[in-house]
Amino acid sequence: MIGFSKQLLISAGLIIVLFIPLIINAQTDSTKAEAPATEKDSSLISPALEFISTQKGDNSIDLAATLKAKVNSSFIKLPKLKVTFYQVSETGENELGFVITNGTGLALFNYKADSIATDKEGKFHFKAVFAGNKTIEAAQEEVSFKRARLEITPVKEDSIQSVQVKLIDVGTGTEKPVPGTLVGVYVHRMFYPLKVGEGTTDENGETTVEIPNKLPGDAKGNLNLMAKLDESELYGNLETSVTQQWGVPVSDKLQELPRALWSEHPPLWMMVTFIILMCTVWGHYLVIIIQLFRLRKEEPDPDSPTAERIS
Amino acid sequence: MELNKYQQEIFDKQRPVIETFGAKTWRWTIFFLFWILLGGYALYLQIAKGHKVTGMRDNVVWGLYIANFIFFIGISYAGAVISGILHILKVEWRKPIIRIAEMITVISTIIGPVFILLCVGRLDRLHHLFLYPRLQSPITWDVFAIGTYFAGSVIFLYLALIKDFAIYRDAKLNIPKWKQKMYKILAIGYRGTHGQKRHIRISTNLMAIMIIPLAIIVHSVLSWIFGMTLRPGWHSTIFGPYFVLAAIYSGTGVLIMAMWVYRKMYNLKSYITDKHFVYLGYIMMVLGAGYGYFTFSEYLTDWFASEKWNSEVIEKLFNPAKYGWWFLFANVAGIILPIFIVAFPKTRKPVWITIASFFMVIALWVKRYLIIVPTLESPLLPMQDTRMEYVKYTATWVEWALTLAGVATFFLFYTLLSKFVTIIPISEFAGKDQPVVTARDISEENEIVPA
Repeated sequence: MIGFSKQLLISAGLIIVLFIPLIINAQTDSTKAEAPATEKDSSLISPALEFISTQKGDNSIDLAATLKAKVNSSFIKLPKLKVTFYQVSETGENELGFVITNGTGLALFNYKADSIATDKEGKFHFKAVFAGNKTIEAAQEEVSFKRARLEITPVKEDSIQSVQVKLIDVGTGTEKPVPGTLVGVYVHRMFYPLKVGEGTTDENGETTVEIPNKLPGDAKGNLNLMAKLDESELYGNLETSVTQQWGVPVSDKLQELPRALWSEHPPLWMMVTFIILMCTVWGHYLVIIIQLFRLRKEEPDPDSPTAERIS
Repeated sequence: MELNKYQQEIFDKQRPVIETFGAKTWRWTIFFLFWILLGGYALYLQIAKGHKVTGMRDNVVWGLYIANFIFFIGISYAGAVISGILHILKVEWRKPIIRIAEMITVISTIIGPVFILLCVGRLDRLHHLFLYPRLQSPITWDVFAIGTYFAGSVIFLYLALIKDFAIYRDAKLNIPKWKQKMYKILAIGYRGTHGQKRHIRISTNLMAIMIIPLAIIVHSVLSWIFGMTLRPGWHSTIFGPYFVLAAIYSGTGVLIMAMWVYRKMYNLKSYITDKHFVYLGYIMMVLGAGYGYFTFSEYLTDWFASEKWNSEVIEKLFNPAKYGWWFLFANVAGIILPIFIVAFPKTRKPVWITIASFFMVIALWVKRYLIIVPTLESPLLPMQDTRMEYVKYTATWVEWALTLAGVATFFLFYTLLSKFVTIIPISEFAGKDQPVVTARDISEENEIVPA
């Protein structure tokens, strides 16, 4: 019996010894499971970085990066964050500069295209990088597009006003017209450009779009006409503009509102009625008050008996 | 000042009232002061913590305070219209009751606008109303109209008091010196000369003529604060005359109640006779019928048109689970009860007429509440934040305390004023150069003797 007891004790001891590594291992495993959570804190906000480029008519490039994040199923703009812009080439990344995002989460960087080189296909490659901070994760985005130029020329024949738009590929060093591309023509308005027409470029890379007469312009009748190529797979976004005195002059001075219920000054009839009513009533009050002052000065009637005192 | 025997009799009857304050009056004064102090504490809380201590929120921005404001301006019609019209028509039986009416007018015109001040959030900018008035706004019209109306009411009351002040001045009353001095100043040297009588007669006639259109304008303007907006239940062309009629109606009710109280309190049965109650009861019945007609017309057109937003308000007023019972009370006690009480000879008695007036006045207060709150609880634009306290208005104890304080102030002022001047005007009863209409004639013979 004693031998059996010993065997039982030894067996139990062995089982415990055998299970110790498992227990330790299980503890280690649970530690391992927590480790990634430490590395990537789930409370961090994952931002979305939108990066678009626009080749301008003055040979510059607008690099626009917008930072936003989805919080509670809706997107919020992320302001006051640093976005760094790079030109990417075969040799590496060349930092161009940085911009702090504005209230709408936009960081707009303008760069002269002549000062940077294209790759052998005539393309530019840019990268926008947000390095992240304590609460927001890092994010980056790249764009690539071939270098091109959009030209706009105002043409006026008789009473017809139009603009001639020309799209030229300049990526390979030589100017090459781009045919068969849809280009839109816009007029700059207070908030957004207003589309007035569009046309497809011919074999010379040209298209003509008529501009309507009598569009309201500024005080001198100037219209800011704009040609745009949007989201081309090869060239990205392109735009160029020209100012032409084709609009109807509209004074930018604040016009005085007419007398009305909603304006600063009331309608005249209302003023007149109010003044007449007030003067009539208060005039009568004045007459009565003057009468009351006269009471005091009234002499007793000569024929009346002396005032009798009440006892 | 020379008094005829009837004037002397009336004066002797009321002399103790203005000579002594009395323990009973002190008790009432302390009682009113208690409510005023409670209101003062509520006002302190409202100023210290802001309007969040009231039930008013973004949506229901008007509540008890504005209902009280309309109510008090309404009862001010007692003196303005009742007294003004009866004066112009030279109705002789008016004489014992006109002072009660005119005092109601002045005091309620003081109390009413105070409720506007309680409702305004930024009292520190109150002077902007006068510095930068916007003439297109009905609120501005109201400020000027009520200011003008108050000035007119004070002048009207004062004109009727000058002769009596001269009587008090000359009567060698057993009163403190300051009171004697006050009577002397306020009598402005009146000695009863022909010229002085003429001046006062002309001025009083002028004011009696003016006070009527003025009162009508004031309450019309008040109604336009509601009527000029496009809100359901408010945008109505009949709101002007509807408000005016309701105001005269409630003013008559308060006048009857005040008559009953003073008749009982100072034993003035020989001057404020049963006939006064019956005559005012008749006026109340006619006004009640007119008010009922306006009410029916107003709600019938809204109900018949079935316009969405109006229907929503109508539904709230007719639904017993919402404001249905209050609406029923406002119409039964405010229209049907007074008409029936006065219509039947058996109930055409001072006590019944007074009871009907009491319920009618309460009903008209409820009616003002029902004009304001259900409409504000039915916004034209859907609300983004629909918390229950935004959608549904419930007055807080602060608002109730200030409301009771307003009522207590009204009673306190009335009590104090009735200790300063006699409730029955002495000089109004004919002098020796006029045919005498005596209180005895009115009370004993129930006959009206023309002047």
